[in-house]
Amino acid sequence: MEDVVSGAGSMLMGSLAKTKSVKQPASVPRVSNDVSDSDEQLLIAVGNHQDRAAFNALFSRFSNKIYAMGMKLTRNEQLSHDLVQEAMLTVWQKAPLYDLDRGTAQSWIFTLTRNRCFDILRKMKRQPATVSADDIWPQEGDIDSQLVHEEAGTMEVEVSKIESFYGQLPAPQRAVVEQIYIHDRTHEEAAAVLEIPLGTLKSRLRLGVGKLRQMVGTEV
Amino acid sequence: MNIDAKYHPTPEQLEGYAEGSLAPGMNVVISAHVELCATCRQSISELEEAASEEWLRSTPDTRASSINFSAMIDSIVDHPQIKNDDTTSDNVPEIHMLDHSVTLPRALAKVASDGLVWKQLAGGINQATVTLDDQTQCEFLYMKPGSQVPVHKHQGSEVTLVLDGSFEDELGHYKPADFVVRTAKDQHQPASEEGCLCFAVLDSPLTFTKGLARLLNPFIRYRFRRATSAAAH
Repeated sequence: MEDVVSGAGSMLMGSLAKTKSVKQPASVPRVSNDVSDSDEQLLIAVGNHQDRAAFNALFSRFSNKIYAMGMKLTRNEQLSHDLVQEAMLTVWQKAPLYDLDRGTAQSWIFTLTRNRCFDILRKMKRQPATVSADDIWPQEGDIDSQLVHEEAGTMEVEVSKIESFYGQLPAPQRAVVEQIYIHDRTHEEAAAVLEIPLGTLKSRLRLGVGKLRQMVGTEV
Repeated sequence: MNIDAKYHPTPEQLEGYAEGSLAPGMNVVISAHVELCATCRQSISELEEAASEEWLRSTPDTRASSINFSAMIDSIVDHPQIKNDDTTSDNVPEIHMLDHSVTLPRALAKVASDGLVWKQLAGGINQATVTLDDQTQCEFLYMKPGSQVPVHKHQGSEVTLVLDGSFEDELGHYKPADFVVRTAKDQHQPASEEGCLCFAVLDSPLTFTKGLARLLNPFIRYRFRRATSAAAH
């Protein structure tokens, strides 16, 4: 087990080295290679080169869901229509800001739909305009970017350290990191092995890797 | 900013915040805690993933007949995209205390940016009420060093976020970033030895249970009605 774990450590360092050049969408490796036309890929294509076909695909996947969320919360067709318009406009406009550090595409789209919906509801109920959704939920999933900034500077960490850090991860995150980095499985395979939804796997992986980075960061 | 908080929102409160199902006032106080607490930030991003799974899984694909999809797409892709996010660091309002200033979390900074009107209450307490919605009463509270709030209990629940200094009651001692939840069952008497700045959210009025302070009850109810009816129109 020992050497297997240190193997994981060195692979992890490989991925950490990549994230030092900030904003690289590839900081959680593999995703872009092993899922064809995943929501993440579509979103990144929209962000990187205004890919309209990719945007059409996202639109057809999410617009009905957004409309349904609007109907559930406002019971008003016009407002739900506006919500689709505003949420998908935000997807288009902010796509260049999306990267895999911000979580799955569906979670990113969910949060910005939730935020637009909050603002629409507030107007509908004529509540005071003191705080908007963007004050309450700082920047659509921008929370993890702080981890990226902490990584500035050089990092030299012994592999044995990573082993001990790895042991400190909560069991669910450790299981995911193990599937991906030790058993070298794709996200889909790992999700199937662990019998958890793909989105959950991705978020646990991101949190696990994020925590490892934090531990590495505080150790240096 | 990360502070090691000892007291956190309940799992239900965090879930409601992630889903967007809470009243604005409750959202604001949770947001302020989450900004200060790395542990809760982690939970929120997991809860948002879970909420998005649930959203996609449980929502029927209702197609809105009224939407002309291709026209909508055409109008959207005409808009320029946003390449860098520069909305992060606008103004950071502070609350000035006698001898120092307190920097507020983002959501509260926004709440305070319109200006606060402080009122003196009994017992060395100062209060600045803000109206965020018609379901909660929100206020900044400043407890002078050595002050004490009359014993009271709540009809609904009360959330208090410590921003500066500290206060204590029968159940604990609370420091910055601590998120103190009291429900209808709890009767407590907060006091502050060193002075304390808090933000509090009530979802129904306080009832004082001891001594002369009970005389305040009708006024408190009146104040609550005023605050909520002001929001209603």
